[in-house]
Amino acid sequence: MSVIDELTGELARLPGIGRKTALRLTFHLLKAPAEEAQRLSRAITAVRERVRACERCGNLTEQSPCAICTNTRREHGLVCVVEEASDIMAIERTGEYRGMYHVLGGRLSPLDGIGPAELNVRPLLERLKEGEVREVVLATNPSVEGEATALYLHKLIAPAGVRVTRIARGLPVGGDLEYADGVTIAEALNGRREL
Amino acid sequence: MPLVSTRALVLQTFPYSETSKILRLFTWEHGLRSVIAKGALRPRSRFGGVLEPFTEGTAQIYLKEGRELQTLSGFDLLRSRQALGRSLAAFAGASLMAEVAIRTGTEDPQPALYAELAAGWDSIAAAADEAAAEAAVLGGAWRIVSLVGFEPQTDACVVCGRDAAPDKPVRFDAEAGGVACTSCRPVGRLIDPQSRAELRRMIRGLPLNAPLGRPGLHRALLRTFLEMQLAHGKPFRSLELFMTGMEEA
Ligand SMILES: [Zn+2]
Ligand SMILES: [Zn+2]
Repeated sequence: MSVIDELTGELARLPGIGRKTALRLTFHLLKAPAEEAQRLSRAITAVRERVRACERCGNLTEQSPCAICTNTRREHGLVCVVEEASDIMAIERTGEYRGMYHVLGGRLSPLDGIGPAELNVRPLLERLKEGEVREVVLATNPSVEGEATALYLHKLIAPAGVRVTRIARGLPVGGDLEYADGVTIAEALNGRREL
Repeated sequence: MPLVSTRALVLQTFPYSETSKILRLFTWEHGLRSVIAKGALRPRSRFGGVLEPFTEGTAQIYLKEGRELQTLSGFDLLRSRQALGRSLAAFAGASLMAEVAIRTGTEDPQPALYAELAAGWDSIAAAADEAAAEAAVLGGAWRIVSLVGFEPQTDACVVCGRDAAPDKPVRFDAEAGGVACTSCRPVGRLIDPQSRAELRRMIRGLPLNAPLGRPGLHRALLRTFLEMQLAHGKPFRSLELFMTGMEEA
């Protein structure tokens, strides 16, 4: 296999990129200055080497604990629970939320083999034991599975005695938080309710 | 390629690529089918938020027999059943019923199974509390199991064939497919007369006159039976949540 085929093949494995686009990208990189291709290659390597999950919240970060967890100007008594780290970026884009986060790494989806044991819940419960947290906002996706996951978490968290809220369903049902617009996300955060 | 229009229940959904979803549908006319809904995860998808588990609608499918994955062209919502996400017992149980249908369904039409699944989900969604939801789940699961040809024998002993006395406890022999006299099966899980009567009513689809006396026993019976008769070494994935969800409830 030629190196052209090899790169095209690798690019085509990326989400949203078909065979044709992959070939176009390959030829673009061949025509552009060598430095451009090297920068891309270095950036890919650096991302894989340096980015990992924050030990405290699960956010993707180069330093653990992440910049959100170590920011003393944010509200440490407020924790927003999301399904994926990419949801944090969506919420941060709104600029409306000043609390902390916790990444579950998924949602209850029994048919796909994702049960309570597969969710990253323990670090959250341990954090609640420390006593600083006074409210947990459940921001799982507005889907049947996201809703059931929120209920499950509520049941686990309730004994800790903190306030538990759920973001309002202003978001499109069955949609994905990551792709929602900032106004909708901000509205949903404002309208959070008691479970 | 013919475009068919059929009533369908969404049993399972999972993302495929950045923007598409794959669904397992139980259709009225074409049985169990996997379809791809292209672009369903895009924010302004024509499917909107309707392609969710437990939803019912009229599906337009480009159907080509012999192909594993069909293409969904449209889906007109009839019923969303979002309420199934508002109780853990309901969610776990509705998932379990969907899983049994996925594991036993075929591409042939099975209208009775379709109707049972839809009615089962509705009664779970309508349950007033977690205990009622659980009873609805147990009843729905037993009727589906029976419809696909695995009705447990609850009247006569699976060993000697004699009718079980209405006032005597029996044992449950999941491997043999039903109840057995305590003399024929000296060991095994005991079913008291009331629980056996409840089990028989649930299998026949008759309403229960009171909450289940021993819900834990009924859960265990369903679990053992599913594992022995239908799992074939591949465990039911929603059983875990159904069992644990209840214990914590
Ligand atoms: Zn962090
Ligand atoms: Zn006998």
